[in-house]
Order: sequence, then C-alpha cells, then structure tokens
Amino acid sequence: MIFFLRYVMRRTFRNIKGNLFPNLSTIGIIAISILIFSAFTLISLNLSSFLKIWENKIEVVAYLKKGTLLKEVEGLLKNTRELQGVEGVKYVSPFDAMAFLESKLGSQKNLLQGIQPAVLPPSFEIQLKKDYRNSVKIKEVVLQLKQFPQFEEIQYGQEWVETFSALVHIVRLTQWILGGLFLVAIIFITSNILQLTISSRREEIEIMHLVGASPAFIRIPFYVEGFIQGLLGGGLAIFFLYLLHKGLFLYIPPSIQAWLVRIPIFFLPQWTILWILIGGMVLGFLGSCVAFTRFLKYSE
Amino acid sequence: MIQMSHVYKTYPSQISALSDMTLEISSGEFVFIAGPNGSGKTTLLRILFGAERPDSGEVIVNGMNITEKGFNQVYSLRRTMGIVFQDFKLLKDRTVSENILFALEVTGHSRKDAKEKVSEILSRVGLQEREKDSILTLSAGERQRVAIARALINDPPLLLADEPTGNLDAQMTDDVMGIFTGLHLKGATVVFATHDIDLIQRYPHRIISISGGKRVDAHKEEEVKKRE
Repeated sequence: MIFFLRYVMRRTFRNIKGNLFPNLSTIGIIAISILIFSAFTLISLNLSSFLKIWENKIEVVAYLKKGTLLKEVEGLLKNTRELQGVEGVKYVSPFDAMAFLESKLGSQKNLLQGIQPAVLPPSFEIQLKKDYRNSVKIKEVVLQLKQFPQFEEIQYGQEWVETFSALVHIVRLTQWILGGLFLVAIIFITSNILQLTISSRREEIEIMHLVGASPAFIRIPFYVEGFIQGLLGGGLAIFFLYLLHKGLFLYIPPSIQAWLVRIPIFFLPQWTILWILIGGMVLGFLGSCVAFTRFLKYSE
Repeated sequence: MIQMSHVYKTYPSQISALSDMTLEISSGEFVFIAGPNGSGKTTLLRILFGAERPDSGEVIVNGMNITEKGFNQVYSLRRTMGIVFQDFKLLKDRTVSENILFALEVTGHSRKDAKEKVSEILSRVGLQEREKDSILTLSAGERQRVAIARALINDPPLLLADEPTGNLDAQMTDDVMGIFTGLHLKGATVVFATHDIDLIQRYPHRIISISGGKRVDAHKEEEVKKRE
C-alpha cells in the first residue's frame, strides 16, 4: 500500500512537472471559477447575517385610535399579550412618544415647541417571539392584530423586510446558478486540459497497458493530478477572496467605513472554506475522470 | 498454451482482418506467423494480448479465455507474456535502465528489487554496458534488445513478437534472432510474426501462413513438422 502511494505521488508529480503550463492553466481557471462562486457565497452570507440582525430588531407598532379609553387599553394589552407569536407588549402613551421624539431630535428639540403630546397617537410596541421575526410569520401576527377595532394603523417595516429578504434570495439564487454553471465549466475545462496532458503521455500509457499495469496503476496518478489541481485552485480562490475581503476596506471612504463598523462583515467560516476546497478537489477529480474516459474511448 | 478457434474480426471500416482463424500453439513452441503486409498478422497478435476483441470465435491464452474479457481485465494476462514490436515502443526521453524500470514500477515492483532485476536482464541481452545511456544514442538493434529485455523482465512463458526485425539490418536481425532462439531453447513459447521469407527459411520452425486474414498453410505446416 505504501509502495503504491509512493508510486502514485511520484508519477503524479512527474506528470505535473512534465506538463507545467497546462497544469497551471487548469489551476488558474479553477481558481477564477471558484473565486467568483465564493465571492457570491460571501456576499450572500453577509447579507443573510445582516438580515438576521435586522430581523431580531423587528417589532410591530400598533397605533390606537384617538379617544380609546384607558380602561379599554388595559384589556387590549392583555389580549395582545396572549396572541400567538407575541413575546411582550409595551404601551407608549402620547407623552412617552413626545419624550422619544425629543430625545431623537437632540439639540433640535425646540422644533417641537408648541406641539402638544395629545397630537401624537398612543401606541403598542409589540416584541415578537424569535420564530416570528421574519417577513412571513410577522404577517400572521399583524392579521391577528387587525381583528382589534381599537387599532388605527399597524406598522412593521414590511417593505424593508420584504425587499431585503428578496435581495438575499436573489443573491443566493445567483450563487447557486453560478455555482452550477461553474461546476459544468470546471469539469469541461479541466477535462479538456487534462486530456491534453494525458495525450502527451499516450506512449507511456500504451506501454503501461502492454506490460500489464493494472488500471489503478494507470489511472490513479491522473485522478490525483485532478485532485491536486482542484485543491490548489480552491486554495488560491480562497486566498484571493481573503485578500479582496481585507483590501476592500482600504478603498472604502472613511464616512462609509464608520457606518460599516456597526455592521459585522464576516469572512467565510472554516466549514465553508473546507467545503469549497473539497468541492474544488471533487471537480478536479471529475474532470480527470471525464478526460481519462474520453482518452480510453478514442485510444483503445 | 494458445487456442484460437473460428475467430472472425472485421474493423469498423468493413475490412475483414481475420476470417475463420483457427490455430493451436503448444507450450515451448517457436512459431512463425507468416504473411504479407496487411494479411492480419498484427490483428492476430493484438487479439492474443487482448488489445482487440474478436467479433466471434474463442481465444484461450495461458489458460485464460480472453474472448469476453474487457480491456481492463487483461492486464493480468499481459504479465504472463512479453510483447515486442517492430517500432520498439520505448520511452525516448529515458535511459535504457529507466525504460525497463518503468515496466517494473508500473507492475508493482519495488524500486530496490527492480534495479537488481534490470542489471540481470540487461546482461542477458548484452546491454549491461549501456545501462545509463539514453535510448536516442542506441542503434536500432540495441533498441530492439532493450525492448526484448523489457518484455522478459517478468520471465514470461510466452513471447509475442510483431515484426521485431522489420527495422533491422541482417547482422542486427541475427543478433535479435539469437536472443529469441536462446529463450525458446530455455522453454519459452515464441510467436513471431514476420513477412520476411528469408528469415523464415534461415530459422526452421513451425510456420502458420496467413493471407487476407485466412490460414493458407495447411499443407506447408505438415511439411515443416516432418522436417523438425
């Protein structure tokens, strides 16, 4: 077994050394394809994470009709708390709303001078359970709230949630469509270039057949060559993506950087990196399988 | 050792390479497969070492029925035979010993054992002095001796040779024939395809004559048998 492994490694590196340019081209093409796919994965991952942070902050604000009696408010609070998906409810009186506005305006709070708190409607700030903090489930809570006639208007940042969810969905979809296309492209390109390197070793392979080399002895070095190309291509892609990820911040204007500080921007997690590398190896392997099958079909 | 019965082989271009080919070669025999170019000698040998599959008929070599064996199943058969070609089939970018080592390496021999074997086999074909020389520096006769050395590396009981003297002058041909005769005397079965009538006359062995993919030697074979 050890002898076989040594033989495979020796032959594989001899093959790579003997066909350096085609091998470098294959590695480069695999790296570019995986880099584009990984970039979309990274964007999608960060958008998802951003969406999650945003979803965690989602709450529903239900504005009460003017003239709703305080006695009614107590009953309504109790009923709202009992609704499915509701974690907590806070009553915001017109005075609380005015205080909130003043704190938001800061030094410009004098703009509110002369405005009576009574013009602001009282409202309920409704916190949702974790499972309900998404664009689908939130609607279920809103539908329940709409059954109470005391509510004038219900707001929950619906458009934002839906637009952002759609954006994440599109990025994910693009990622997988591109992934599929690159998968086919990598297999096609790898197999074609490997076929060239296999053809350049036609004499060797013919002699191997003649002297009774087993199929494993003939094929496995070429499969390992594909594996190594995929691994190096994947590794290079991850490396360049990391450089891009780090380098991007250097070219972002300071004003945007200050805003971005509040949003955590991640690099790919270790497991994703591992899967990308494994994916690269599998693609390289499939490419070499296709190449060898085609070579044998035309040579035997 | 070899049994071929009613073998037919037609190539996709509709050229009939072998037609109703039946022959039997016993262990230890030296047999010439004689015939002009295009008579089917190469196809016959290619079927014997499993590089071609017959359209019909049965082929048994070294006890293995190879009629239905796929290309990936005949490698064990090939380890029981040595194959020599007119064009040598050597790796030109390697040395004499590397060419033989290559054959040992890809059939699972360790490098240490292989090196000892290489020296031994090169002395058998008289090339021990040229072990480290590049193939490109050898004469045609020497190249053929390297090819024979490679074919002998696993001590096969059967040697298949397809026009091995086709590219050699008279002196080199005699050298190569000397090696084949020596192997035959030591008990190896030799199947030697050639179109060289002169060669066949100088080395009296059994002859299987073929022409247009058919045997045409029934009466001649009897004569040779009587002579032997």
